[in-house]
Amino acid sequence: MEKVTGSNGDFAVTVRKKARYVDEDLCTGCGACAEKCPTTVPDEFNMGLGKRKAIYKYYTQGIPSTFCIDAVHCRTFQKGKKCGVCEKICQAKAIDYKQEDKILELKVGAIVLAVGYDLFDAAKLPEYGYGRITNVINALEFERLLSASGPTEGHVERLSDLRDHELIHSGEKKLKKATKTLGKYEKKHKKSSADFYKEFTAGNISDGDEFAKWAKQYESVQEATKKLEALKAKAEKFDVATRLAFIQCVGSRDFRFNKYCSSYCCMHSIKEAMIAKDHEARTDAYIFNMDLRTVGKGFEEYKVRGAEKTGLNYVRGRVAEITQDENENPIIWYEETTSQTPKSLTVDLAILAVACEAPKGIEKIAEMVGVELDHNRFFKTDPLNPLDTTVPGIFVCGCAQGPMDIPESVAQASSAASRAAEAVAGKA
Amino acid sequence: MNIEALVDETKAYYCLDCGVCTGSCPVARYSPGFSPRLMVEKALMGKAEDFLTDPDVWSCLTCARCTHRCPANIDYLEFARGIREEALRLGNKGSPAHSGMFQSIMEIQSSGIKQDRITWAKEAGSIADKGEYFYFVGCLPYFNVIFANFPSQPLDIGRNVIKILNKLGIEPVVSNDEKCCGHDMLWNGEVETFKKLAAANIEVIKEAGSKKVIFHCPEGYYIFKNYYTKYFGDLDFEVIHFYDFLAERLKAGELTLEKSNGVVTYQDPCRLGRLAGIYESPRDIINGVAASFVEMERNGENSVCCGTTGWMNCSTCSKEIQGNRLKESMATGADTLITACPKCNIHFSCAASFIEGIDIKIKDLTEMVVSAMNGG
Repeated sequence: MEKVTGSNGDFAVTVRKKARYVDEDLCTGCGACAEKCPTTVPDEFNMGLGKRKAIYKYYTQGIPSTFCIDAVHCRTFQKGKKCGVCEKICQAKAIDYKQEDKILELKVGAIVLAVGYDLFDAAKLPEYGYGRITNVINALEFERLLSASGPTEGHVERLSDLRDHELIHSGEKKLKKATKTLGKYEKKHKKSSADFYKEFTAGNISDGDEFAKWAKQYESVQEATKKLEALKAKAEKFDVATRLAFIQCVGSRDFRFNKYCSSYCCMHSIKEAMIAKDHEARTDAYIFNMDLRTVGKGFEEYKVRGAEKTGLNYVRGRVAEITQDENENPIIWYEETTSQTPKSLTVDLAILAVACEAPKGIEKIAEMVGVELDHNRFFKTDPLNPLDTTVPGIFVCGCAQGPMDIPESVAQASSAASRAAEAVAGKA
Repeated sequence: MNIEALVDETKAYYCLDCGVCTGSCPVARYSPGFSPRLMVEKALMGKAEDFLTDPDVWSCLTCARCTHRCPANIDYLEFARGIREEALRLGNKGSPAHSGMFQSIMEIQSSGIKQDRITWAKEAGSIADKGEYFYFVGCLPYFNVIFANFPSQPLDIGRNVIKILNKLGIEPVVSNDEKCCGHDMLWNGEVETFKKLAAANIEVIKEAGSKKVIFHCPEGYYIFKNYYTKYFGDLDFEVIHFYDFLAERLKAGELTLEKSNGVVTYQDPCRLGRLAGIYESPRDIINGVAASFVEMERNGENSVCCGTTGWMNCSTCSKEIQGNRLKESMATGADTLITACPKCNIHFSCAASFIEGIDIKIKDLTEMVVSAMNGG
């Protein structure tokens, strides 16, 4: 959305439709392009934990089911590189590198602001070590780890283990290449590198740049092999994460950041802990909280079931800080307020229930459509007409007006749609 | 101040009863029963007598880990100070370290005595009677009497500061009439003594005609910035921390330093870090004087106190905290622990002298700078 003019019942909206470089009428969503695309990029939908290609779909169930090219990473869009693989592979001939952004002029009777929310950046709390301690993650990252369509296919692995697997993978690739170079020297001089190196270090071969290079190459291959072996030995002991700590109220109910309660985090932490336990029976889950705010029909029962049937541990006490041990296991430091005792607990993963915040750029949208924001930066609404913004004909639903869970967001979306329909019919 | 007023002033009624303070407290970890949360709770429930008569009132390190992290923004630090005033009124005095010698020295200074506190400075470099810059030395000359046999003498810090300032072309005022800044008196609950000392110091600086007062001691800096202004209004001179001053000069290329070999790590003083927000300047300087600098796991805002404050309640708990912190510094692989506060240096040097298994050099940052000035 770039510009909005007009008033209730008669708005003119200018929308920029970004070029996807794929003709959506032709694309069948078969995915052959992504399969062959040579460029891999961290996957935003998987919170950077997995990889996607430069031609991709944001997520599997996205509608329309059309691929799009990420021009920032695509080789064809980067100067000096030739590729064009997707164009060659696409049977539907849907690839169009020359596609441009389109400007759409829409005449509408009402506008619904459904811009969603952003996660609180947990790095703002240095005491929790997010961004510094590898195995401290946020709840949405954990959600992706739990998901069958996620980067680990639902196996809850420590991020440090994923990193080490990646290191082994890239290390093997590099080593293969380096060994190949050694092979060239060996073929040329008809001598194994080990024999050559023995002679070289004994001082029997001294002249020639090439020999020095060979020796250096041999040394680096030896060193890389050693490192790789050590890493592989370490990786053999890797197990799924079974000790989980869920840390509530990270960035919410906190006067330093957001005073409000994000309202849905208690439920999602209990849910995530229960699913983790479903996936792996050995799981020990701890939920650190001031009070579990499970507000809603059946939610209180769900909390009780979590403790009684699933065996989740609810610990009363807000976490003070997180450090890590020599194996990169997070150590949770807290006061168990029920026994008035300062304690620590070592876990495999610490999962931060981060606050729901108004999205970046909400000020820009508010200015564009002329609506006001409240003191928490969400869209301001009328208490008696909770979907109405400060401008008639412009409505809001979901987390754009404050933290709420999925059922409530869905109900609001229906409501906002009917309010918009009233506006279009001239009755709002 | 009575407890109700203190609760109002520090907004302790916002307490969420969450336990972040006690979970963060270095004392609570080694001294079961000590709990900032429970003190606030008791104050809110009208049961303040429980802790006002308890010697543990004096165990708080005033390190501000709790205050810094409190999700309800309660000024626990001011709360801890306020309850000490009240405890003292009720006759609960705590146990002064070093048999109360420091408290006596501070008291004597407040009554006006003739001191010799600049002879060493004249020997170290050139100083002035009047001028733009005033170097507020603090307690170093007194510390030196007691800790003269430590590996690095407290007064060496003063000597180093003068040498560095001279090198930068500054001849600071160092005054014979300077008094204790009053920091410890204030935190010992002796507000009247603090006020006497503060008034005398403001007068001394005024007489020297100085507009810029440089502090090396984080306590002096913090107390001038926050409590001199609180009790005496705006000061007509600027309060500058030596490391901010030096870091700026280094950036401007006014001083060339040669890096020394070895690996160093750094202890953030509570008053300099969490309470004054000065984290970067000392680090900029360290990067200028040391070839390799590694952080301890708990650094910056998460740094841990050197174990005791205000020369009060130095206990086995203090030694546990110090020993643990020293081990944390050794775990970085560093051979030297750099301190930026004379008291951190004294406390760690003391602990390192008898706790088994401690093997790390402890140096003040000024010492590193002076040897870097002389060529690494």
